[in-house]
Amino acid sequence: MRPWWRGRTVQVAALLAVMWLAYRAFGLEHPWPERLEWNALAGHLNDFQVWLLDRRAADDAGLVFQVFDGFRVLVDDLVTWLTDLLLWATWAGTAAAGTLVVLRFGGYRAALVIAAAFACFAAMGLWEQSVQTLALMLTAVALSLLVGMPLGVLAGRSPRVDRTLTPVLDAMQIVPAFAYLMPVVILFSVGPAAAVVSTMIYAIPPAVRITALGIRGVQPNTVEAAQALGATRVQVLRKVQLPLARRLLLLAVNQTILFALSMVVIAGLIGGRGLGDVVTNGLYSNPALAILGGFAIVIMAIALDRSTEAIANRTDPARRHLTDTLRRRLRLATLATAGGVVAAVAIARAAGAADVYPEEHTAQEWLLARIQSVLDFVQDPTSWVFSLTEPVGTFLLVHLLQPLRAFLVETPWFVTVACLTLIALVLSGRRAGLTVLAMLAGIGVLGEWEAAMDTASQVVVATVLAVAIGLVLGTFAAESRTVSRLLRPVNDVLQTLPQLVYIIPFIYLMPVSIVPGVVAGVLYAFPVVVRLVERGVRDVAPESVEAASAYGATRRQLLAKVKIPLAGDAIMLGVNQGIIMVLAVVVIGGLVGSGGLGYEVAEGLQRNEFGQGVIASLAILGLGIALDRVTRGRRAPRRQGAG
Amino acid sequence: MSEAATVAGPASSSAHTIDRSGEPLIRASGVWKIFGPRADRIVGTPDADLPRAELRAKTGCVAAVRDVSIEVWPGEVFVVMGLSGSGKSTLVRTLIRLIEPTAGQITIAGRDVTAAGRGELRDLRRHDVSMVFQHFGLLAHRRVIDNVAFGLEVQGMPKAERLARAREMLRLVGLEDVENAFPDQLSGGMQQRVGVARAFVVNPKVMLYDEPFSALDPLIRRDMQDEICRLQVETGKTMVFITHDLPEALRLGDRIAIMRDGAIVQLGTPEDLVGSPADDYVANFVRDIPRSHVLTLRWIMRPAAPGEEDGPHLPVGTTVRDAVPAIAASERPVCAVEDGRVVGVVDRTAVLRAIAGEED
Repeated sequence: MRPWWRGRTVQVAALLAVMWLAYRAFGLEHPWPERLEWNALAGHLNDFQVWLLDRRAADDAGLVFQVFDGFRVLVDDLVTWLTDLLLWATWAGTAAAGTLVVLRFGGYRAALVIAAAFACFAAMGLWEQSVQTLALMLTAVALSLLVGMPLGVLAGRSPRVDRTLTPVLDAMQIVPAFAYLMPVVILFSVGPAAAVVSTMIYAIPPAVRITALGIRGVQPNTVEAAQALGATRVQVLRKVQLPLARRLLLLAVNQTILFALSMVVIAGLIGGRGLGDVVTNGLYSNPALAILGGFAIVIMAIALDRSTEAIANRTDPARRHLTDTLRRRLRLATLATAGGVVAAVAIARAAGAADVYPEEHTAQEWLLARIQSVLDFVQDPTSWVFSLTEPVGTFLLVHLLQPLRAFLVETPWFVTVACLTLIALVLSGRRAGLTVLAMLAGIGVLGEWEAAMDTASQVVVATVLAVAIGLVLGTFAAESRTVSRLLRPVNDVLQTLPQLVYIIPFIYLMPVSIVPGVVAGVLYAFPVVVRLVERGVRDVAPESVEAASAYGATRRQLLAKVKIPLAGDAIMLGVNQGIIMVLAVVVIGGLVGSGGLGYEVAEGLQRNEFGQGVIASLAILGLGIALDRVTRGRRAPRRQGAG
Repeated sequence: MSEAATVAGPASSSAHTIDRSGEPLIRASGVWKIFGPRADRIVGTPDADLPRAELRAKTGCVAAVRDVSIEVWPGEVFVVMGLSGSGKSTLVRTLIRLIEPTAGQITIAGRDVTAAGRGELRDLRRHDVSMVFQHFGLLAHRRVIDNVAFGLEVQGMPKAERLARAREMLRLVGLEDVENAFPDQLSGGMQQRVGVARAFVVNPKVMLYDEPFSALDPLIRRDMQDEICRLQVETGKTMVFITHDLPEALRLGDRIAIMRDGAIVQLGTPEDLVGSPADDYVANFVRDIPRSHVLTLRWIMRPAAPGEEDGPHLPVGTTVRDAVPAIAASERPVCAVEDGRVVGVVDRTAVLRAIAGEED
C-alpha cells in the first residue's frame, strides 16, 4: 500500500543489524570514553547550589531571590491557610460543605460520589492527610488555571500565539515530572511551594490546550455576527466566546485537577504533605499504609473527576435554557447552599466535632490488616498468584530486559550514536536526526551514557509491550462496540491514577528488580495506544473498506490489508505518546530499584546530592527529547490535552 | 432547474423607490482580496491578471475578489450572485471589513470604511450596517429576545429599553410567542427570522444578507423571500443580498452582479441578464429561466407607429407573461405606458418571440 513504509522498515532493520554485529564483535570494548565526559560539572553544580543558598540567606538578597522567596512564602501560606480552614471547619463541616456545593452545581449523583469519598477518607483514618492533599491540590490547580486559562484564551484567539506556545507546551509534557523535581527544589527549597510549582509545570499544559480548544470551538459565524454588530474584542470574548466555550473551560478545570492529582505522590517527595507523603514514606517502612494512601488518592481522583465533569455538563449555558424564573430559582438555590454550608460548619463546631475524624472510629487497623494479608499471600512462594507472576517477571527480566540492556550498553558507543541518529533520520527526517545526535552526545558528555542506555532499554521493552497490547485491544475495540464499551472505564481509571500508584502493586506482585517499573509503564501507556489505534482504525475512510469488501475480502483481510495499514499514522502517534508516558513511569521506578537515570535522581533527592541529581535530570530530558523525535514521524503530531 | 418555474419577476422593483438623485449609499471601487503570503504585493503587478490556478501555482496566493467596483443606491436591492468559491461572500465581508480588503476603496453612507479606525469601524457596524448570516450565527446560550437585543446591548443600551425594542421587532417578524425560547428550540426558518430581527432592530441604513436562506427548505425559503420583500417595502432599507440561487436573485434584485472567480462578469437588471447575457457563462446560467417571466414590455417594445397609440394600455414594467392575456384579447398592439405617456408598443409577434427565446 505504501512503498516508503516498507523501505523504511528495511532501512531501520539494516541499521539495527549493524549495531548487532558491532555488539557481537566488540561487546564492552568501547564504552563512552572518559575523556569525553565533563566530570567537573557535578562539582560546579554543587558549588552553584551552595552559592545560591548563601545568596538567599544573605540580607541583601537580589531582586530575583526576593521574587522567588516571595512566591514561595505566598504559596506556603496559601496551602497552610487552606489546610487550616478545612480543619477548622471540622471533619463533619468540611464533608457537609463539599457535598452541598457539589449537590448545587453537579447534581445528586455527583454529590453522592463526593460524600462517599469523604466517608472513605474518614474510614481509612487518613482525614488529615486527605485534607492536606486537597488544600495543596486546590492551590496548585488555582494557580495553574490562573496562568493557563488566559494563555489558552490568547492561543485560542490568535494562531500566532498558538504556534509560539505549542513547542513550549510540548516540552513541558515530554519532560518526565521526575526530572524537574531537583531544579524546582533548588529554587524553592523543600516544602509546599516546591510541590505546588512542580505540579503546576505538569498541570498547566492541559489547562492551556483545552481552553484554547474551547475558544476555537466556538462557531466562527457567531463570533463574526457579534463583530458585524460592532462588538468590541472584550465584548466578543465576554458575551460570546467565554459563555459558549464554558463547558470545555470547565473540562479544562477537570483535566487540570486530574493532572495535578497525578503529581500528588511525586510532590510528596519534595515536601508536599498529605497522601503523597503517606505513599512515598510507606513505600519503604509500611507498604500496607502506602497502598491504603494510594487507594485514597484514587478515590479522590475519581470523586473530583466525576463531580467536575457533572458540573461542566450541567452548567453549560448553551444547553440548559435559562429563563428568568429559572435563573431566579437557581440564584435562590445558590443562596440556600451558601447558607447550608455556613450552618453545617456552625452546627458541627457547636456540636464539638473534631478537626480530624476521630481515630478510634476509623477502620484503618482492619483495612491495614486486610491489605497486609493480601500482600503476604501474593508474596508467599507457595501461592498460585506467585506461580503466575514470578515466571512472567523472570521471563521479562531474563529474556527481554537483560539482553536489551546488554545490547544497548555494550555496543560500541560510536556505533550506537551513529545508528540511532540514522534511524531517527529515516523515520522522522533530518531535523529529528540532528536533534537525536545532539541529545545522545549531550548524555554522553554528562557522563550518563550507561545509565541512559539502561533506562532506554527499559523504555523500549515497556513501549513494545504497551504498543502490542494497545494494537490488539485497539483493533478489537474498533471492530466491536461491546469491547469498546468494556474497555473505556478501564482506560479511564488507568489514566487517572498517579504514576507511582501503578508501580506499588507490582513491587509485591513481581518483586524482580526492574520489572515493577516496566510493568507499570506498560499499564500507564497502553490505554492511550488503545485509544489512538481504535480511533485510527475506525476513522479509515469507509469507501476504502467498502471497496475492499466489494472485492470479497474477509474480515481479517480487511484488517490486515486495508484498515491497519491506513491507520499507520495513528499507530505511529500511539508509539510516540506511549514512549513518552513509559519514560515518565520508568524513571519514577528509580525510587523502587529500577536503576538507570531514575535511580540517580532518586539518590540525588534523598541524599541531597544536588549536582548528580540535576545531571541525571538533564539526561532524562535529553533521552525524552531523543525518544520523542525518533518516533515523531514525518508529520509532527499534536499532543492531545488529555494525553 | 425546476425552481425556474417559480420565478415571478422582479417582485420588489415596482413596489419600492430607488433614490438615484444624490450619492450612492455604498461605493466600492477597485476592491481586491487576495489570501496568501505577501498578498499586498500582488495587486498592480501583472501577476494580478493571471487566472486563479496560475496565480496560485506561482505565488501561493488565492485571489478571492479581484478588482470589483459597485455602487448601491439608497433603497436599492443589490444582489451579488455566483457559484460557491466565486468570492461573493468574501466581497460582502470586505464591505464592513470583517475581512480586510487587500486593495481598493469603500465608502458607506459617506464614511470612508477603508480608512476608518477601529472605533469608527465599530460605530459603522453598530449603527449603519447590519448583516444576516447563512448559518444564522445566533448565540446558543441566550434567549431569542436576548439574541435580538444583542446589537443594542453591544451599543450599551439599558436593558429595559433594548428588550422593549427587541420585543417590538419580534412582533414585526411574527415571533412574539417564542421570545423566551432558545435558538436550538426553533426551526431553521424561525432561527433565520431571529437573525433578520437582530439585524433590523438596530435600524441600520444598509442590510447585508450573506446567503441567508440557502440553509433552508425550498418552501420556507419562499416564505422568507416574501418576508424580506415585505420588510424592504415597509422600511425602504438598502440591501446587499448574496445568493447562489438565480431565481432568488431575479426575484429580489433591482440589479444583479454575477461573479465568477472573484470578478464581476456582468452587472445589470434581471432583464439585462436574461435578455442579453454578457458572455457564455452568464448565458449558461440564465438558460433555463423562462424569459417571459423576467423580461418586461420595455425590453420587447418598439416605437409606436402613428395611430397605434390607442391600443390597450399596460405599464411598461409589466412582464411579458403578465401581458399575455391583454395582448391575446386585443386585435391591436398593446401600448407600454410610463408616467402616463405611451413609450412604445408590443405586438403578438414580439411576445411570441420573447417566449420562444429567440434573439432579436
